[in-house]
Amino acid sequence: MNIIEIRDFSFCYPDTDRDSLRHVNMEIEEGSFNVLCGKSGCGKSTLLRHFKSVLAPHGEKSGSILYQGVSLDELDQRRQSQEIGYVLQNPENQIVTDKVWHELAFGLESLGYDNSTIRLRVAEMASYFGIHQWFYRNVSELSGGQKQLLNLASVMAMHPKVLILDEPTSQLDPIAASDFLETVKKINRDIGTTVILTEHRLQDVIPWAHQVFVMDKGELITKGKPREIGEELKKQEHGMFLSMPVPMQVYAEVENDLPCPLTVSEGRRWMTELMQKVAAVHSDETQEEKKEEKTKKFRRKKEVQTEIPALKAEDLWFRYEKDGKDVVKNLSFEVGTGEFYALVGGNGTGKSTTLSLVSRVRTPYRGRILLEGRDIRSYSDRELYRGCLGVLPQNPQSMFIKKTVKEDLYSIIGGSREKQSAEYTVDMKKAEAVAGIASLTRLDGLMDRHPYDLSGGEQQRLALAKVLLLRPRILLLDEPTKGLDAEYKQELGGILKKLQEHKISILMISHDVEFVAEYADRVGLFFEGNIVTSKPAREFFAGNNFYTTAANRMARHYFPKAVTAGEVAQCLKERL
Amino acid sequence: MMQDAFSRCHPILNFFYFLVVMGITMFMQHPVFLALSFVAAIFYAVWLEGWRKVLRMNLLFTLPGLLITSLLNPMFNHYGVTPLLYIESSGNWVTLEALIYGMVLGCVLFIIILWFSCYNQVMTSDKFIYLFGRIIPALSLMLAMALRFVPHFTNQMKVIRNGQKCVGMDVSNGSLLSRIRHGLNMISILVTWALENAIETADSMKSRGYGLHGRTAFSIYHFDQRDRRLGAAMLLLTALVLYGCSRGAAFAQYNPRILLAGFVVMGYTPAKSCSIGLACVTFAGFGVFAFLPLLLDVAEEASMKRSRRYTGKDMETTYRQIYEELDRGGQTF
Repeated sequence: MNIIEIRDFSFCYPDTDRDSLRHVNMEIEEGSFNVLCGKSGCGKSTLLRHFKSVLAPHGEKSGSILYQGVSLDELDQRRQSQEIGYVLQNPENQIVTDKVWHELAFGLESLGYDNSTIRLRVAEMASYFGIHQWFYRNVSELSGGQKQLLNLASVMAMHPKVLILDEPTSQLDPIAASDFLETVKKINRDIGTTVILTEHRLQDVIPWAHQVFVMDKGELITKGKPREIGEELKKQEHGMFLSMPVPMQVYAEVENDLPCPLTVSEGRRWMTELMQKVAAVHSDETQEEKKEEKTKKFRRKKEVQTEIPALKAEDLWFRYEKDGKDVVKNLSFEVGTGEFYALVGGNGTGKSTTLSLVSRVRTPYRGRILLEGRDIRSYSDRELYRGCLGVLPQNPQSMFIKKTVKEDLYSIIGGSREKQSAEYTVDMKKAEAVAGIASLTRLDGLMDRHPYDLSGGEQQRLALAKVLLLRPRILLLDEPTKGLDAEYKQELGGILKKLQEHKISILMISHDVEFVAEYADRVGLFFEGNIVTSKPAREFFAGNNFYTTAANRMARHYFPKAVTAGEVAQCLKERL
Repeated sequence: MMQDAFSRCHPILNFFYFLVVMGITMFMQHPVFLALSFVAAIFYAVWLEGWRKVLRMNLLFTLPGLLITSLLNPMFNHYGVTPLLYIESSGNWVTLEALIYGMVLGCVLFIIILWFSCYNQVMTSDKFIYLFGRIIPALSLMLAMALRFVPHFTNQMKVIRNGQKCVGMDVSNGSLLSRIRHGLNMISILVTWALENAIETADSMKSRGYGLHGRTAFSIYHFDQRDRRLGAAMLLLTALVLYGCSRGAAFAQYNPRILLAGFVVMGYTPAKSCSIGLACVTFAGFGVFAFLPLLLDVAEEASMKRSRRYTGKDMETTYRQIYEELDRGGQTF
């Protein structure tokens, strides 16, 4: 039976001439797990919001959405709030009250249940989700993953029939994210709640999905079982593949007629099968090694070139409290001029702390940091932050001051008036500088928008543009790909590469192994306040068994050196 | 945080306790009450917070406060029948009564502050919200949300400040004028951010049915058997004390003449007086009431010890029996 049916639904935001949703038809079966995917701005969230009338945006709409055969407009609010649960993107903002137990009870209070019923439901939920250990805590003490789990649990406490999740893991680190998705899957499997999900991290959800819907520019372009989607998209040669799981990306690139692999293990099998078919083994391996050799030489050359590293940390020690535990222990590393160095590692290992040490927000109690050969403590604030060090904060929203993008860009160089000031000392017209940076970060068409109206990726680029206007020679990035979809990541990567060509050194901390593999020169693995190993990106990922890209895990039995989907596909093509 | 036995009782009892203790301390300014109240407050505060903290706070803040109030009162009030000192410049008398009353007021202040330090430990925000949420449900949600937003905003402010610091626009950079500008910028960022993100909070509330008719207020507190017994005891003691007071067992007057029930002060006693027995019972009643939390804690500790001992023995005998049975029969299963 279909729990939700959408018939010929179109929607248009006020004051726009383009329909945000066009003639969408969808049937969602009761108890199924549905994944809705598409690029940012394709109308996924708009569509999801229409599944609940209190959240539906204003605008012109036509067509109908039926919930269990009843039009959603006629369904009363009580039933809607109870039976349709909705989890939003940001874990922080969804929490209403100060205590975990109160948050769990919030929905039930609204519905007017009595104390003993709420007590039971809350106890049930806390036990099911493993919340009982932190049941009495203040919500401000929880980690991001715990917060999102709490949001999910407090929605589930109302016993919804449909659970809608709008990119619920975009703000979480990979481990918390896969735990969260695992829980969603468990809910679907154990309780039979219908799940409708949008997600960037498709490799974690696509394999379980009963049905996948692919949207582009407000239209539903295809729907079906995950495997069928893969084959369908391959046939259409659609650009959507960028955001699909890696095995599917590789599959799409390579000419073959096997069924589409969804997971890494399926991908491995698929490759084996494919390679066995092409029994004729050429002497490709030597070629592969040659290529590797070349890159190595190239790198060595580069290392010789850099005499004074842009950034050098020597034996850093840091702890937050006097008798606390050391967060950064005896840490030393270097970033060469024009090098892109990435730090990866788990949560709470001290990566962010290290970044705050390098950006001088905090100071180590032992050891020193040299920027271009000079001790960081000898810089004045102006010298350091204007022209030497650029720091891109994790949350770009924490930088926006003005009402439009243009004003915001000017605000950082002391307003739009063309006069030499302490804040702006370069011999270049401000307008030119802003225009140049805007075209570099692709903000050209967005100059008159409000910063908050931009999408996540565009906000990230605006923040980056603001930092770049200060002309830093060393750029520090804290999780720049958090919450971005594949396309925005590609754009960001492109911008970073361009900066590198202009001899700007980059230090990035990230959880995003795929992004690091694609763009970074050198990678360090951070563990317990120290860098365990630091190697050129390819070597690093090729050498790791677990901490490596999905592409590498999939293809390592044939191409151990290939770390990105593109490279794996390339290798395969060469073989075929 | 560790909670003592009394903190684990129902919030209404906690609240009632503090209400009565502080009320009597404030309005019945009889020295015996004050002494009892003082001893109880100091013991309870030490029990809750440790003597080091209590001592430090009292020596640093409350003791000077006490001295100042007791000295200030005779400077501005000149009632009383026992002049001590004539101040020529103002033409006023410093009187014994005013001095004594100043000291009493200082003591009251001191004791109330002590009680409040206990109150803060026992009546946590959620208990307070719970109590007042019963009266005004909207208020309780509002308080809970406010308590949620304060750490949320402080946190975000830190993030913003670090971000601004890293573009050289911290409040510590530049001239005074630009410092102010940077500070205002940060506040503006925070406000924009808060308003923008509040939309999502509102969405989350709406989607969980906020605004539907007939909202209830959930609480995790249970009024159990012990609470009932304790409540009854507290009510009884309060009634006893109030009855005693109404009969004049704790009569205290400092103006114009010092009159204290049960004492002869400079040859005077209050006109209305009750039997010594009733006075003793009243004071004892208040003493017991004021020491209730401590008594509860001591009783609980003792019973914990007993139960642990008992459990140990019990298990031992049970298992010994099982082993013996197995030894004897071996095939009983």
